[in-house]
Amino acid sequence: MARLMTNLYDVSKCTACRGCLVACKDSNQLPAVMEPFKGNYATHEDTNGNTYTLIRFLEHEDPVDGVRWNFLKYQCMHCLDPECMKVCPKKAYSKTEFGATLHDEAKCIGCQYCTYACPFEIPKYRKHTDTVTKCTLCVERVEEGLKPACARTCPSGALSFGFRDELLEQAEERVKFLRANGFPRATIYGKVELGGTNKIYVLTDTPDKFGLPVDPKVSGNTWFWQDIVQPYAGWLLPIALGASAISFVTTRLLADKNGSHGDHAEGGHE
Amino acid sequence: MQWIPEYRDDVKRVERFNAVARITHWGHTVTFLLCLFTGLALFLGGIDWLAAIFGGYRGAGLVHRISAVGMTIMLAFGTVFGFTGIIAWIKDLLRFGMNDIKFLLIFPFEFLGFKVKVPPQTRFNGGEKGNSMVTPTMVILLCLSGYIMWFPAIFPSSLVRISYWTHDLAMIFATCMVCMHGYLGSFHPGSGESFWGMWKGTVRADWAQHHHAIWYQETYGDKAEAE
Repeated sequence: MARLMTNLYDVSKCTACRGCLVACKDSNQLPAVMEPFKGNYATHEDTNGNTYTLIRFLEHEDPVDGVRWNFLKYQCMHCLDPECMKVCPKKAYSKTEFGATLHDEAKCIGCQYCTYACPFEIPKYRKHTDTVTKCTLCVERVEEGLKPACARTCPSGALSFGFRDELLEQAEERVKFLRANGFPRATIYGKVELGGTNKIYVLTDTPDKFGLPVDPKVSGNTWFWQDIVQPYAGWLLPIALGASAISFVTTRLLADKNGSHGDHAEGGHE
Repeated sequence: MQWIPEYRDDVKRVERFNAVARITHWGHTVTFLLCLFTGLALFLGGIDWLAAIFGGYRGAGLVHRISAVGMTIMLAFGTVFGFTGIIAWIKDLLRFGMNDIKFLLIFPFEFLGFKVKVPPQTRFNGGEKGNSMVTPTMVILLCLSGYIMWFPAIFPSSLVRISYWTHDLAMIFATCMVCMHGYLGSFHPGSGESFWGMWKGTVRADWAQHHHAIWYQETYGDKAEAE
């Protein structure tokens, strides 16, 4: 596998200008989605069919630190072992060489299994195309040697793009620096979570303060469905059909042996 | 070789299923099979030729949803117009007892065509009782989980995730029962006469007496006739 290329997002440098959101819309030619004001600076509550990325605004009141206003660029995490890819019945998902989880809209039938398999519920249904959409890690730009639109536009240096191993080293350095400079709970997110994701966050606080699951997990329901029901339970169907076929033959063979012309003529009894 | 037993109107026949039961039954047959084959196109991991029959995956999805609504309507139709029938059906299922257990133990031999002595059965024999309990339960589960999967946005996510495996499992159990039921109710020489019970509504009196002795005695026997 080629070297993984990924985005590093450092919340400590983010000014929440939402340039990435606009650049993403522009690059992917997505229309604006107006949502009513809900007492929060965030333009959208969650990703939607026409919004692949957004900035979350989260306020926390801490008895020691006082009020903290956290920003988070939120989008598909491009898991290295993506659950969306496993559940998709049309195999519309694929992993690119550099580690993007790519969704092929031409194959998608809008069943939304992926939405509910994803631990972040990122892929979202878009009504007018009757498909699911999500961040592509700007695969068409990256394959031409460019940065993703969000990383290219970021004015504060919060978003960078490069090789995953190099960015992880940078992230560790940054976390060390933050821990020594007033953010003792600073952490990396995406290094080990879900077996590693191809988007890396440097957080100034614990993940829950950014609305992220501390230990993201694939639901047990999804596991039971994909790893038990789908591969094994379906075998009951050919067994039932096979038993009927065997009976069809044996009943007629046994009836001929007994000399009578099938039990049918007598309504199935002597 | 005969596929199903001949319909004989020269012998005494007795009513087995009324019109409402028959309409509900065949309504479910059509909608269930349409749902089954459109659904299998996805369940089996994307069977392109199967989906193509229904006009591709989107067409199959549309047929699946239309049939599902049809199936729901059949459930409602049966419940509203056949309410007394359903109560009688449930009452018969509650008579599950020793004779039914004996029936289920002996049945595999009869299934394969061996001559066996079966204890007298009520309106529904042990196997039919099992089918009557499993299949409708699974169909109701299929309907409930299906609508949750159809409109996931208005239900909690955890319920949607439960619905996915429930829909698959219920489909598998229901289809198993339907395979056996379809075969036993038609091509199986011993019980093939019951096909006419569901198609025309009547079965041969001697067949009913032989296969459902208790039911026949209670409904058409000397005592019942006298009343």
